[in-house]
Amino acid sequence: MTATTDAEVRIFLDPTSERATITRTLADRPATLEGKVVGLLDIRKPRGNVFLDRLEDLLNQRGLRTVRFSKPTFAKVAPVDLRHEIATKCDVVVEALAD
Amino acid sequence: MGTPLPEGIVAVVKADCPTCRLVAPVLGELRAAGVAVTVFTQDDPTFPAGLNPVDDTGLDVSVALDLDTVPTLVKVEGGAEVERLEGWSQPHWESFTGVAPLGEGLPEHRPGCGSLTHDPEVVERLAARSTGLRSRRLELARLEDEAEAFFERGWTDGLPVVPPTPARVLRMLEGTTRDPGEVVAVVGPDFADCTVEKAAVNAVLSGCRPEYLPVVLAAVEAACTDEFNMHGLLCTTWFTGPVVIVNGPIATEIGMNSGVNALGQGNRANATIGRALQLIVRNIGGGRPGEIDRATLGGPGKYTFCFAEDEAGSPWEPLSVERGLSEGTSAVTLFAGSGPHGFADQKSRDPESLAISMAWALDGVFHPKLALTSDAVLVVSPEHARVFREAGWSKARLRARLIELGTKPMSELVAGAQGCAEGMTVGPSGATGVGPVGPASASGDAGIPKFLPEGLLIVHAGGGAGLFSAVIGGWVRGAIGSIPVTMEVKP
Amino acid sequence: MHDIVDLETRGVPGVVVASSEFVEAAESQARALGLAARRVFVPHPIQDRTDDEMRALADAALNEILAALQPEP
Repeated sequence: MTATTDAEVRIFLDPTSERATITRTLADRPATLEGKVVGLLDIRKPRGNVFLDRLEDLLNQRGLRTVRFSKPTFAKVAPVDLRHEIATKCDVVVEALAD
Repeated sequence: MGTPLPEGIVAVVKADCPTCRLVAPVLGELRAAGVAVTVFTQDDPTFPAGLNPVDDTGLDVSVALDLDTVPTLVKVEGGAEVERLEGWSQPHWESFTGVAPLGEGLPEHRPGCGSLTHDPEVVERLAARSTGLRSRRLELARLEDEAEAFFERGWTDGLPVVPPTPARVLRMLEGTTRDPGEVVAVVGPDFADCTVEKAAVNAVLSGCRPEYLPVVLAAVEAACTDEFNMHGLLCTTWFTGPVVIVNGPIATEIGMNSGVNALGQGNRANATIGRALQLIVRNIGGGRPGEIDRATLGGPGKYTFCFAEDEAGSPWEPLSVERGLSEGTSAVTLFAGSGPHGFADQKSRDPESLAISMAWALDGVFHPKLALTSDAVLVVSPEHARVFREAGWSKARLRARLIELGTKPMSELVAGAQGCAEGMTVGPSGATGVGPVGPASASGDAGIPKFLPEGLLIVHAGGGAGLFSAVIGGWVRGAIGSIPVTMEVKP
Repeated sequence: MHDIVDLETRGVPGVVVASSEFVEAAESQARALGLAARRVFVPHPIQDRTDDEMRALADAALNEILAALQPEP
């Protein structure tokens, strides 16, 4: 249980009929990864790059193209430009390594 | 709350209150005299020392007792409150408790302080816990931006919304005496229940003040009637959205605009009431553009289109009175309308001439060659209204003349006539425009009126300068389309 | 988690790789964001692992990662 004070927890009321779950749906997965571009997003925590280097090798060995990206800092959400770049250049993305 | 109150005297205090500190010894005197006193403390569980106070820092007891003031004494018999006393007053405490003398040496009277339950910071915390609100809660992640969160969830009309915190919704609900759980309407296309609470959540999103809520509720109720047919209106490829016209004292009470730029931007009540209705259609009913809303072009009125009639300056009775409600009743009239089509007449000094201009403007509704297809609202500005006032024309007379002027022979209107393929068609039961025509229409060259009398609504609004009025064209009229609905606004 | 959620809403399937210490935090973040992002966990600790150990973690996680990027069977 994350310990948050009352002030940090922000609660809002759902204005909808609540027929739909409050969850958003995942993007459709491609039927096969063959020919797809895999984005590898390094969140810049230490050691993550070693993990991603190896993952990249393994994916390349399987014939999958990869593109590497890096967040400026793990402490903030990735800049919108970076997210846009990933979205335009990649078909799928792996974000690593949160510790 | 569940737990019954302890028998005897319940005292609620807070340490941060000089009067509570003053009376702490008096509570001790009551105990010493054999009175069963239970002391609840709102802030510091060690206060008052020596009196074994019960910790009510969670404010459950204070909320259940609905306290305004501390100290408050509550006399409890059989588990229930029979009497209460606020503040310190020596004679009153003595008669309330039956113990005398009390508090010797203390000032005779001292008013209490505000209960912690009314502290603004506390209100927010309590509201979030409120079990009186039934809507599902959404908790936002720390990094998530509030404004973005609601865009992403599809809860907006494309413009930002006010985040619906429980405290805001509770304040909004104070604007009505109706029960939050009451179902106001069933909203299409999903046919989901819109409760007073849900309407309040959307009213918060929209930016309404609590005093606007009764108008929003009336608008939702009216829009979702079979006659108005909000569901059908939403699904159409036509331009129209619900237009809300407000009459009666409420319009001034809540500061609506019926004057300069009445149909435009800038007035909070006008803007947010119309918007709340649209958000309810979207969020409760599930009606969204691109999904069930397939309007070809739509229009900016589908963000919001709500205004008040200028009754004070009008030469005629208010729209709501004309439609059957009594003078002085607050009401909304829902009309399925497109954007306003403005027209000028800066030369007519007599009513006949001005009526001709107006009739020409009305001809264009839906299509110039389609009669008995649509309804319309004619918004007459003050400068134009003056012409009719000075000539002594009643609204009924104006309407009758407009309908007369808008009556055209079938030969002009029929599809193909005047080189235009669009137009009236003649079926076995008579002429039809887009929908079936009322009573059997004429054959040959007898005229077909553009509007039925009940389909031509006339209202008075606008700024004092400008010899311009406007037509708000409708959708398909009648049972297969939408029929205007007027409904009383209840507190 | 936020980045992956944002990318999912832009139509890019994604997966977050995190240390096993993150299981609960990831769940609560996913719930708060309203999107059950796909996650693969690798055994804690991370910081003091050798390069070879990190590579072994990648080898071990590969299939799970690939599965998260394809339709569920």
